[in-house]
Amino acid sequence: MGENFTRVGPESLGIYLAPGAEEAGMASMMAEMISTNLQNKPERIKDYNALRGTIWITAEDAEVDITLAFTGGGLFVHNGKVGNPILHISTDSSTLMELANITIKYGMPYYFDDVGKMVLNKLKSGELKIKGMVPHILELTRLTKIMSVK
Amino acid sequence: MAPKYGTEDWEKEYQAMLARRMEKEPPYIYFTPEWAALYEKTIQQDAQYKEAAKTWEGSVVLHVEPAPEYGLEIDLYIFMDLWHGDCRSIRLVPPEAGEAGDFVITGSMERWIQVAKKELDSIKGMMQGKLKLKGDLPTIVRAVRAAQRLVDLSAEVGGIFPTEATEEQKEEFKKAMQEVAALY
Repeated sequence: MGENFTRVGPESLGIYLAPGAEEAGMASMMAEMISTNLQNKPERIKDYNALRGTIWITAEDAEVDITLAFTGGGLFVHNGKVGNPILHISTDSSTLMELANITIKYGMPYYFDDVGKMVLNKLKSGELKIKGMVPHILELTRLTKIMSVK
Repeated sequence: MAPKYGTEDWEKEYQAMLARRMEKEPPYIYFTPEWAALYEKTIQQDAQYKEAAKTWEGSVVLHVEPAPEYGLEIDLYIFMDLWHGDCRSIRLVPPEAGEAGDFVITGSMERWIQVAKKELDSIKGMMQGKLKLKGDLPTIVRAVRAAQRLVDLSAEVGGIFPTEATEEQKEEFKKAMQEVAALY
């Protein structure tokens, strides 16, 4: 590991902020949230370990974007777009926070409560855009699970 | 020597200072103890906050970094004691008490004033790194609407911004901050 990478949480999770990402609020928030979630909900570690590929997330209103590069048991969080993302999630800051509030029921994201319905409505209206959703639905589900604080 | 924060003596001195300062009619200058007292009332009377925060437990601290150019020479900690939708109290507390809050949101005076003017959304500010959050992130994300409402209510209190104060108001703000610092 290069010395400019900053570890977030325990070494066993292998979550790192790439150089420059510490200063970006969204990058450090996302890294910290995933790290704390995995510590609080170890049953989701298998989803984390199975997740591979880069996911680009844009908070349109804040004009901030980050890349989550999952390596199957490791995560590198970069400021900006890095590599060839398999998924691109683009919405406003508040909706991104709401995405982290999706309920996980029977091990799957649940879209039939208030937050779930709101997310589906925003997808329909275009306020939430997810590119690559169809071919990478499994990765999206895994990301939702490790991001969810519920 | 100032009494220790958390003791009855400290609270007595704080209340005495507040009573003295509240003899003057509003509008108050943002971040002064009398402004914080109005903020406390605003939260206590807000139905939207009560509903959004009904499961919330723990303190939230707004940390304003020093801005000597506007008369703020100290780190200012606005400590909100919150419990299940209720705002039990808001006090300007010494740094060690402020830093020990469950959630500490830090920003420069200019940033907080942007939030108060509704020019900066608090979540957007955190995403941009303009406001820094310390505390258990999943907990605050679960209560994101309550947290956002709490910060946004600072805009509804109204008052004079230290950045736009007259020379006389600046002197008054400086004096208020000296009184706060005397209780550190």
